Amino acid sequence: MEDPMAAIRETFFQECEEQLAELETGLIAMENGTAEPETVNAVFRAVHSMKGGAGIFALDQLVRFAHVFETALDKVRSATLAATPTVLGVFLRAADVLADLVRAARENTTVDDSRTKALVAEFDQINDAGEAPEAVTREAPPPVSGGLFAPVAAPEPAWEIKFTPRPALYAKANETALLLRELRRLGELDVVLDTTQLPELSELDPEGAYLTWHIRLIGDCDEAAIRHVFEFVEDDSVLVITPPEPEPAASEEPAGFLPGTVITGDNGFKFEFFPPPMADEEEAEAAAPAAVAAPAVAPREAAAPPVPKHPAVEAMAAKAEAAGAVSATIRVDLDRVDRMIDLVGELVINEAMLSQRVLEAGIARASGVAMALEELEHLTREIQDSVMAIRAQPVRSVFQRMPRLVREVAAQTHKQVRLVTEGEGTEVDKTVIERIADPLTHMIRNAIDHGLESTEKRIAAGKPAEGTVKLIALHRSGRIVLEVSDDGGGINRARVREKAIENGVIAADAQLSDDEIDNLIFLPGFSTAAKVSDISGRGVGMDVVRQSVAALGGRISISSRPGLGSTFTLSLPLTLAVLDGMVVSAHGHTLIIPLSAIVETLKPRAQDVFPLDHEINVLALRGGYVPMVDVAASLGYSETFIEPEQSVALLVEGEGGVRAVLLVDAIHGQRQVVIKSLEVNYRAVPGIGAATVMGDGRVALILDVDAVVRHARSDAGGRNAEQLSLSDAS
Amino acid sequence: MSNALELPTILDLIAAPGLLEAFISRRGRALAVDAGAVQRLGAQCLQVLLAARAAWVADGMALALENPSDEFSATLELLGASPRDLTHEAQHDGPDLGANKELAA
Repeated sequence: MEDPMAAIRETFFQECEEQLAELETGLIAMENGTAEPETVNAVFRAVHSMKGGAGIFALDQLVRFAHVFETALDKVRSATLAATPTVLGVFLRAADVLADLVRAARENTTVDDSRTKALVAEFDQINDAGEAPEAVTREAPPPVSGGLFAPVAAPEPAWEIKFTPRPALYAKANETALLLRELRRLGELDVVLDTTQLPELSELDPEGAYLTWHIRLIGDCDEAAIRHVFEFVEDDSVLVITPPEPEPAASEEPAGFLPGTVITGDNGFKFEFFPPPMADEEEAEAAAPAAVAAPAVAPREAAAPPVPKHPAVEAMAAKAEAAGAVSATIRVDLDRVDRMIDLVGELVINEAMLSQRVLEAGIARASGVAMALEELEHLTREIQDSVMAIRAQPVRSVFQRMPRLVREVAAQTHKQVRLVTEGEGTEVDKTVIERIADPLTHMIRNAIDHGLESTEKRIAAGKPAEGTVKLIALHRSGRIVLEVSDDGGGINRARVREKAIENGVIAADAQLSDDEIDNLIFLPGFSTAAKVSDISGRGVGMDVVRQSVAALGGRISISSRPGLGSTFTLSLPLTLAVLDGMVVSAHGHTLIIPLSAIVETLKPRAQDVFPLDHEINVLALRGGYVPMVDVAASLGYSETFIEPEQSVALLVEGEGGVRAVLLVDAIHGQRQVVIKSLEVNYRAVPGIGAATVMGDGRVALILDVDAVVRHARSDAGGRNAEQLSLSDAS
Repeated sequence: MSNALELPTILDLIAAPGLLEAFISRRGRALAVDAGAVQRLGAQCLQVLLAARAAWVADGMALALENPSDEFSATLELLGASPRDLTHEAQHDGPDLGANKELAA
């Protein structure tokens, strides 16, 4: 049987991810001085919520650490601890540890205790350091103990709290008993349980919520402190907090909410209550719940009668609930969105087919049918865009992971680094977001480790000691562009060249442009670092980045200026659900070649084609040689090879920048196609990445350029295409 | 000759459906509920216990609470209920559910 707690637990971890992101954003804003007064509260809430949730799942290590963190944040919040750079530094590191603890809890692993202990010690230090000067600068007069000015003991105020959980509260693994326990810390509690809504045993839903608690809290606390206890259950309960009365209520005062009572409904919806015209006492009495209260408690009840269900209030509470239902965001299972995207894909195909039929039927363009069809086309496009927008997410979630990375790599390399991000709000499909994190991580590691010079070198070069790494996201011509730039020394071209010759990648006398030299770093196994460092080494180089980017249908390029730094530019499609493709035909079959892989198209001349062994031809192209691949033959459509002069050639670039020339019969133009998985609908086919349905209803296969190019390379006796073209460059 | 029900250690939201079933299957006879093992009591199981008490009252059957653990008693009190809200003596009708709230001292 599936554990229902597992699903709740998973939700908790998802929420933790959001809280962690908010925590980090808030802390960074505080560090940059761009924080708003509300920021520190948001930061505190994030940690507090995680602690609360973790408590329910008995994640003790997480709870303990979050508690220490929260305590320090609370001091900042109450201005007893100044948010100095040192303090914020500790907070940021604590956020990192908290993230690790959450991850460890999710994966059922443990976090090295020494890290949490070290930070707890740091917290102790800042707590001590922060409080001492604070006592001096505090504006309020210092407390006088037992002297003349000892405060006269005032009757302690009593808060009235009505708390009615809804089933969702329990379903999210919250528990009234825990909330009451928390509340008890604020003062003395008198709890009256209202069971009037409890149904008969046989009709009871064990997962329902039927109880209401009337709580009287006697203690010196403010509303925020009370609200704080109910903070993460407010959405799933009806909570009414009535402040203590300045004067004891006259007994004839109609029972009801006091002016200023704040009712909170779903989603934090709040409104202040102002009493309706004098309520009819009988009505109020009739509506009053048959509270569990016995006559023995009458005196207390008289002073502050239990909150009755006054019709007007009930109506307002219901309104509050209704308002809560109109939420700004909803959580939707990704599968549902994917299903919708799939259906919209079908719709687009269907619409294209319909257009084709109308065209074939020879219906006039001005006819009603054609015009209605045009409208349908617009609508379909709009639906498609809207559905894609549902999956689109700002790259913020990925960008938010980078400050931590920068801190860690900076500490490891003993460099001072400032990360500047721009365009966090740039939106891109969720699937793309998930897959750009790794390449970006690698590029940023690389920028700090290899791009930035050491502090001494920077100072010697007259640069600021602190290096800057910039991460920018923007939309450009229907693609998302990510730039990682550093203000380091730029690519050491002499060293790259030397290394390339050493590795046999280029001939010793090869003439390469600066750009070509820069791009050598994307070749497999290429690293200029004299020894593999812990940071960006790890046995992978920029070729891995290039490969993963290419797998997403993206491209990566570099530009570098000696002494001024380097910029890596990554261009990716906005979605993986549709693809810009070149429609070509090979031996009567329609194929789609992803546009991102195509470098150029050309018409080969007979004198440029040179035969190699294994029936492989190479094409002389601007001083280099590129292997030629007959697409129809390589896919088994044709036994014979096409005559190069009779064909159209497409220069494509596959994984690792390996190039090949694909020969096809004809090019029919570009179009956006909806990607349909072959594996899911049929089975994997070598050389084919996916399929799509064309306007005429026929299935067209989308070429897996990498596979075809790889195949060509193995046919050519394992010779590296790039190597061929580079080493013969003259 | 009474019927017995030993409460599980954890009475959280997951335990509530099972607890409800246990009461329903034992209905119509006097029942002794042993709360000696309870380490955690949640509001949803409390709902079941309260509804069970009302059912036993309606049936005129005795419902006893035996050996409540400290945790059980403490949480019960915290939630504004008392052992009396969960028990019933068959000889005479107890006070109405909801009217026998014992105040915490």
